[in-house]
Amino acid sequence: MRCPHCQAELETPLACAGCGDALAVPAEASPFEILALPLGYSIDRAELKKRLSRFGRLVHPDFFATRSPEALERAEFASARLNAAHATLADDAARAEWLVRYLGGPDAESERELPRAFLIEVLEWNEELEQLAAGANAPGAAARLDALASNLAARRAENLAAIQRLLVPLPARGSPALSRVRQELNALRYLDRALDELEALRSGNPARR
Amino acid sequence: MPYIELNVLNNTLPEPAVGIDLGTTNSLAAVWREGRPIVLAPEGRSGLVPSVVYVPSEGTPVVGREARDQAVVDPRHTVFSIKRFMGRGLADVQSELAARPYRATESQRGLVQLELRGRKYTPQELSALILMKVRDVACAALGGQTVSRAVITVPAYFDDAQRQATRDAARLAGLDVLRIINEPTAASLAYGLDQRDKGHVAVFDLGGGTFDISVLAIEDGVFRVLSTNGDTHLGGDDFDERLAELARREIGSVAGARVLEEPGFQQAVRLAAEKCKIELSTQPESEMHLVVPELRLNWRRRVTREEFDALCADLIGRTLDCCRRALSDAKLKPAQIDEVVLVGGSTRVPAVRARVEAWFGRRPHTELNPDEVVALGAAVQAHILTGGKRDMLLMDVTPLSLGVETMGGAVDKVIQRNTTIPCSATAGYTTYADNQTGLDFNIVQGERELAKDCRSLGRFQLKGVPPMPAGLARIAVRFHIDADGVLMVTAKEESTGETAQIEVQPMHGLTDAEVEGMLKSGFAHARDDFHARRVADLKIEIGTMVRATEKNLHAAHGGLDRETFLDLEESLARAKAATQKDDLDALQKARDEFERATLPLAALLMNNVAQKALMGKKLGDV
Repeated sequence: MRCPHCQAELETPLACAGCGDALAVPAEASPFEILALPLGYSIDRAELKKRLSRFGRLVHPDFFATRSPEALERAEFASARLNAAHATLADDAARAEWLVRYLGGPDAESERELPRAFLIEVLEWNEELEQLAAGANAPGAAARLDALASNLAARRAENLAAIQRLLVPLPARGSPALSRVRQELNALRYLDRALDELEALRSGNPARR
Repeated sequence: MPYIELNVLNNTLPEPAVGIDLGTTNSLAAVWREGRPIVLAPEGRSGLVPSVVYVPSEGTPVVGREARDQAVVDPRHTVFSIKRFMGRGLADVQSELAARPYRATESQRGLVQLELRGRKYTPQELSALILMKVRDVACAALGGQTVSRAVITVPAYFDDAQRQATRDAARLAGLDVLRIINEPTAASLAYGLDQRDKGHVAVFDLGGGTFDISVLAIEDGVFRVLSTNGDTHLGGDDFDERLAELARREIGSVAGARVLEEPGFQQAVRLAAEKCKIELSTQPESEMHLVVPELRLNWRRRVTREEFDALCADLIGRTLDCCRRALSDAKLKPAQIDEVVLVGGSTRVPAVRARVEAWFGRRPHTELNPDEVVALGAAVQAHILTGGKRDMLLMDVTPLSLGVETMGGAVDKVIQRNTTIPCSATAGYTTYADNQTGLDFNIVQGERELAKDCRSLGRFQLKGVPPMPAGLARIAVRFHIDADGVLMVTAKEESTGETAQIEVQPMHGLTDAEVEGMLKSGFAHARDDFHARRVADLKIEIGTMVRATEKNLHAAHGGLDRETFLDLEESLARAKAATQKDDLDALQKARDEFERATLPLAALLMNNVAQKALMGKKLGDV
């Protein structure tokens, strides 16, 4: 990758450190390319943070306020790409989601299964959730809410550990492991929704604002 | 590479860019000077401009202290807390209007308009008047330097319409808006400037009319907002209102319901409640005292801090609910917050401090002046934006999810709340009829599932789709929230590569044409008519002094020596005469002279108060 203006080698497609300009970022640039990090599920969080602030200083619109409207607009969109790339890489589930798609794995529509052991637990949790929703103010409800929330959070950590095992080292394109990652991601989606519902019950506002 | 702006022709410093805190109750400007932000205040006076507008029977509207003094005298033409109306429709502000003595109508496109002396004012215009006054004060503090570029703060929880309304107000005031930034984020900049430590900071910002909580990660000069939450209708005004309710209930049962309807009473009760609240921040008990001579009302009520705390307990509870949601979105526990920073005048209420401390389990920072810290932070941002400072980087978030209404009335979310800005999202659409060339959709902000429960930003109309059979067009609509937190929409038909035009019909907002129209229609005249406004300000100020003097003339007669008394009477007459003409110099001279002549009277009154206090009488009895 070279800068279209000064031909300097680019560290990131966002901007050229040489001429100090934000660039028009190609649509296909991956979050790993944008943050100049090696492709893979494992991520060096300290390095990710450092790059966010280093590249942020290159492209944030704050530093383009005195430049031409075109340069400012490029900075706006390059910043948006940086922020999106960071959001994908910083979140374990989002990163796994991106990798499954990148490696040609199934999407949530074509692979709807949940991990087998998970199904039985889901039935129990659903029952507990319904009871809590019906009587959120009943005595002992707060303690039960907390207990369920910590159960769900613990299970979430297990799911993420399973994803880690499946994606490190990175499986080959089209590997059956990708279907299993998708199943774990489906489970995560269920857990996150259930945790949201619990949070809403705790605020005494099931509709969430 | 730092940019230094220098005018090479005359080697002067460039025109300064200021930070403006446009508050519900007070507004203030600050500027970057010699390595730090400072508040802009004319020598010897406070720079704080009360966000109050008074529309006199003739002449231009008056803003600030002089306007606030008119509240009881002429309540029907004095507007408070206009910020609560920004970007809102009539239906949104019904409860707000109930306690206000003026008529409100709605424009064709759902914009609230207040009717004052037969002229309709939009909240944008009234806010513009406040911004002009702030600019004048800033200009005076800068020794007459012009001020035309500004960073303006808004509550973090303001939606797109409210941000746009603020931007339009600034345009009407003739200000070039460098950036709209969030109040708690601005506060964190001012706070973080002196604090070298890194970690998680929660900014608890309870102002006159709005509440925000923002959670930030600060590290190596990067201020990254992790989440924000809040309530744009919760603030000090609501605390006052609890005391006012108490007064209305008790007075109503004694003096009858008719009294409660009087505009003079309504403003008097507001001011008495506010005064009582402020006293309760430093004293364990206070007294609400209401005197409305026209209604022959003289009412007192002792209020203890405990009683006040109980009246407001649920309001504080609501702020803590927002804190919990913000922390949950930031995926942090209260114990993981390293510092809590209090911002906004209402954080002076002891019960607020106590409950925030209990909830976070740590003593909040109170060393910053909660009235100034937002403007100071805005000045830091103005300095960054004019190319002055590159070691600080601010990364903020969008407070509300953005979505598009689907055919069934549900919301298809395209950008989640607490996404770092700038951010973009693209959604694909197609046509449902043959040769359809346009598409109409409703963009909403909010967290609810149904579009009708969210806030509509307006109808967006997509035009210029090339004619083709139904379902073949592939229209990519890009939603971009810029660094101001304001939405931009662009669309492209992908099979032909044609750019479709987007027409925005903002809800509760002004179109560009309307802003232009207002600027032309005399609003611009008022803007540059410093002279006329100064004349109006002075007349009001002298009027207030005249009333206060006449009220105490009998005391002056008995207490002052003959010469001093005659001097006072003479300058009183001269001041009154001066207000009959529009001569600025004469008014200025009369005011200064009058002020000098009233000094002995003020001293006398103070003395009387002190003596009566010594005789065991209370201050309020004097």
